[in-house]
Amino acid sequence: MSGFLHVTFADVACVAPELVLAGVATLLLLLDAFARPIRPLFPYLTLAGLALANLAGGSVSGTFFGGAVESSGLTRFLELLTCGAIALAVLGGAASLERDRRNQGEFYALLLFAGAGTIVMVRGVDLLVVFLGLELMSLSLYVLAAWYRDVPAATEAALKYFLMGALASAFFLYGVATLYGRLGSTRLTTLQGLSSTSSFVAFDILLGAGLLAIVAALSFKIALVPFHGWAPDVYQGMTTPAVTFLSTAPKAAALVVLFRLLHALFPLALPQPWRPLFVILAALSILFGNIVALSQRDLKRMLAYSGIAQMGYAAIAVATFTQDALQGALVFLAGYVVTNAAAFLTVAALSGGETEVRTLGDLAGLGRRHPVAASVLSLSMLSLAGIPPTVGFVGKFLVFRAAVDSGLVSLALIGVLGSLISVGYYLRVVYVVWMKEPVREVSLVPEDLLSGAAFLLTAGFILAWGLFPRGLIELARGAALTLSGR
Amino acid sequence: MNIPTLHPLGADLLTTLVFLPTLGAFVLTFLPAASKGAAKAVALAASFLTFGVSVLLYRAFDPSTSVPDAFAIDRPWIPQFGIRYQLGMDGLSLALVLLTTLLTVSVLLVSCGQKIEKLKGYMIAFLLLETGMLGSLVALDTLLFYVFWEVMLVPMYFIIGVWGGKRRIYATMKFFLFTMAGSLLMFIAILYTANVHLHATGIQSFSLEDWTRAASSGAWHLAPGTEALLFGAFALAFLVKIPLWPLHTWLPDAHVEAPTGGSIILAGVLLKLGAYGLLRFAYPLFPHAAARYGSLLAVLALIGIIYGAWVAAAQKDMKKLVAYSSVSHLALVVLGIVAGTGAALSGAIFQMVGHGLTTGLLFLLVGVLYARRHTREMSDYGGIAARVPVTTALFLLATLGSIGLPGLNGFVGEFLILGGVFQVSVAWAAFAATGLIMGAIYLLTLVQKVFWGPETSPENRTLTDINGWELAGAFPLVVLIVLLGVFPRPLLTLVEGSAKTLQRAGAPAEPGSRPALPPVLKRLGVHELEAPPTGVAR
Repeated sequence: MSGFLHVTFADVACVAPELVLAGVATLLLLLDAFARPIRPLFPYLTLAGLALANLAGGSVSGTFFGGAVESSGLTRFLELLTCGAIALAVLGGAASLERDRRNQGEFYALLLFAGAGTIVMVRGVDLLVVFLGLELMSLSLYVLAAWYRDVPAATEAALKYFLMGALASAFFLYGVATLYGRLGSTRLTTLQGLSSTSSFVAFDILLGAGLLAIVAALSFKIALVPFHGWAPDVYQGMTTPAVTFLSTAPKAAALVVLFRLLHALFPLALPQPWRPLFVILAALSILFGNIVALSQRDLKRMLAYSGIAQMGYAAIAVATFTQDALQGALVFLAGYVVTNAAAFLTVAALSGGETEVRTLGDLAGLGRRHPVAASVLSLSMLSLAGIPPTVGFVGKFLVFRAAVDSGLVSLALIGVLGSLISVGYYLRVVYVVWMKEPVREVSLVPEDLLSGAAFLLTAGFILAWGLFPRGLIELARGAALTLSGR
Repeated sequence: MNIPTLHPLGADLLTTLVFLPTLGAFVLTFLPAASKGAAKAVALAASFLTFGVSVLLYRAFDPSTSVPDAFAIDRPWIPQFGIRYQLGMDGLSLALVLLTTLLTVSVLLVSCGQKIEKLKGYMIAFLLLETGMLGSLVALDTLLFYVFWEVMLVPMYFIIGVWGGKRRIYATMKFFLFTMAGSLLMFIAILYTANVHLHATGIQSFSLEDWTRAASSGAWHLAPGTEALLFGAFALAFLVKIPLWPLHTWLPDAHVEAPTGGSIILAGVLLKLGAYGLLRFAYPLFPHAAARYGSLLAVLALIGIIYGAWVAAAQKDMKKLVAYSSVSHLALVVLGIVAGTGAALSGAIFQMVGHGLTTGLLFLLVGVLYARRHTREMSDYGGIAARVPVTTALFLLATLGSIGLPGLNGFVGEFLILGGVFQVSVAWAAFAATGLIMGAIYLLTLVQKVFWGPETSPENRTLTDINGWELAGAFPLVVLIVLLGVFPRPLLTLVEGSAKTLQRAGAPAEPGSRPALPPVLKRLGVHELEAPPTGVAR
């Protein structure tokens, strides 16, 4: 562990993005205390911090801090994805936060801390570092869930999320401890060395129990069925800009960590008891999420169940467990970040304050009053449903292709069945927005510069990545190569 | 076959053809909603220019082309998976491209002459739909085709859902879900076939050309069960679109609720794309399964011919009647495709165009009446011939064309199909001919009930005849219905090259394995004729 004592410049350069994020977050906390009048500038400062964090990353590659963390194509991909998710959350949410006078610096600081935690999670090659990131991310999100602390739904959501999240963290730690007890290391690189010499069999009761605990904890963060219970309530009670972030990057990071751990333990292929397990997790999430979403009338709950189903698609990649599958999952997740943000943008912009339930019916007449918002929302629904030429289609194409190529045709069929079911509720949103006569007029928060930019950006990415996915796929390929290269 | 001198906008001709309507739609989005005149001008300009490009293509097309390689473009699109932006044409796709661009012009002209709310959005939807249709017709990479195929769904969903009738939401959802269910299975089949191709040849490719080569050269070996499943998944996507009995239930709903323009495009082009898909993808890629299950398809088609005609005869709603007549007529096209002889295939392709023209005109004229009286019930009309003489004359012409009167286009297609089917099976031909006779009965009854007889309803006294815009939209269809009836040679020349190729690909190579008669008919004493050498009927 001498690496921790001798911090070199390269070590710092490796974690530079997290340092920048944490630094900007601290700065925002101080500014909020001592320079309150500049609060309206906080979103811009946050965006600048995100840009800086991106510039700071990617300068070195390899493992650092004595092999505890790494900088690679994979971490770079997740850095971009996390910063993008925070940026979209800030762009879309700044106006409604300002309207409700909840635009304290802490909000942005917590988002940035959560982002730093998310990146650390993926950066960690040592399971303890992964846990550190997981906790930093989770604790920030618990507080964000209770951001509207005088709203009962928000406190309920925060409490639920916290209690169940704490349990998940405990499971994770228990699993790590068990793995350590069985294999004598928490470092993924060491585990890989152990497994490649086949010093242990795939099904080992102690190892199995530990791994199962970790899988459960990560599935909780990803919100896969049957670990999804928290998602609808938390989505509903949590403030929308925070959900925009919560529903994308942390899930993506947990999925990547899961993939990575499994790859360290089983470098060649997923052995027998684990592959069916993930097939079942994915299939259940896809079917359950989509079927339950059909009956939802609350917009945020519907998006929560839709998110469960979408993560089911991403979990197909874990069940498939090839490099192609990881690449597909990364493309899928990147697409999901922009698509999901586009959907939440409109939810955030719907006026009426945080306390109000946002039912689907509230959207009626949106097409006439706010054609741009309505178009972007419709586009995001089509992308979530996986209809070309959107990025949602590209992501599903890659994931299904990898599944079919490795013989999981039935899982792909379940996937398309889920897509067909999902059309039922995604298109209902499009129908309400454009074709339903409004009972009362909807009004949006006056579109400011930031949310206008967010609408254009998300729509642009959905279409550009849908029509010209080449660059995104190349980036994901580079990221996926990290695993096999190590 | 490239003509590099004709590259407007610096792009190649086919790209221009496909994306010109999108460009028009893009320009339209920036026009203020109030300026209807400008919206009309832009939309018409875009559709006329697209039609112009398709005429240019026709002029430059070499009719001896037998594989879809005319005006070919081949660029990488997603090179990581060997997916290409590969476009090309043969006579089959060119004939349907001409039909598509012409009908779009018609629809937009008619919509200028009728009172349509949110006109700008309406025109944007039709232009985007045109891009989807044209793209599907010229795409030669299966994944690219799938993208265009799915892209068509969204504008049509809006056209029915926003501008449709009372039960429009139900109808448009049904349309969407039915079509999507079929195409999602095809999507998995595409992925699976790509995997088969990869393992057989070691090359990542989604190109139809590569796949067909592998299929015909025997480079990939599919177990009969696998091939049947793949063929089934492809065929299902296309049969839903056609739609073949018993997958047709979405069509009457969609037609009744769709606005006039939507019905014209739906019947005129979208249904044909199902038949196009069978000819272009399902048959050449899986010839053995196609041969084995051909008789099943033929039985479904025969049921569809009779069933469609029967149900049409019972309808009181004019649009529903025409919709069921489409079920019947397109089942005949499927029968021609299944028969797979040169004559039957030429006839099927000819009939695809012909049906697009006549049914398009029928829907257009029903729409003209509906725009004035807001009813499609036959009983609300009666004896209106004197009030609307021009509409009556055109309607009669479209009807006669549709029932296959010699001298009009319907006759040529139906005669060729029946002749070709006759070579394969007398029984099939006999059954199919019965359906056609029934077609004459219900369509003529429609004309009689609506236009002739005593004037029953006083509301019809104020009925005005077809207006200038509508007539402008109907005019090209009328001319072509007559022209193709008297002088079918140009269109036949256009499609013969494709028919010849498809006949080789469609019909099994070894003699004696022609689709067998349904055993029921054999028991009735109906015998199969020996198939004559191919191409004899011409």
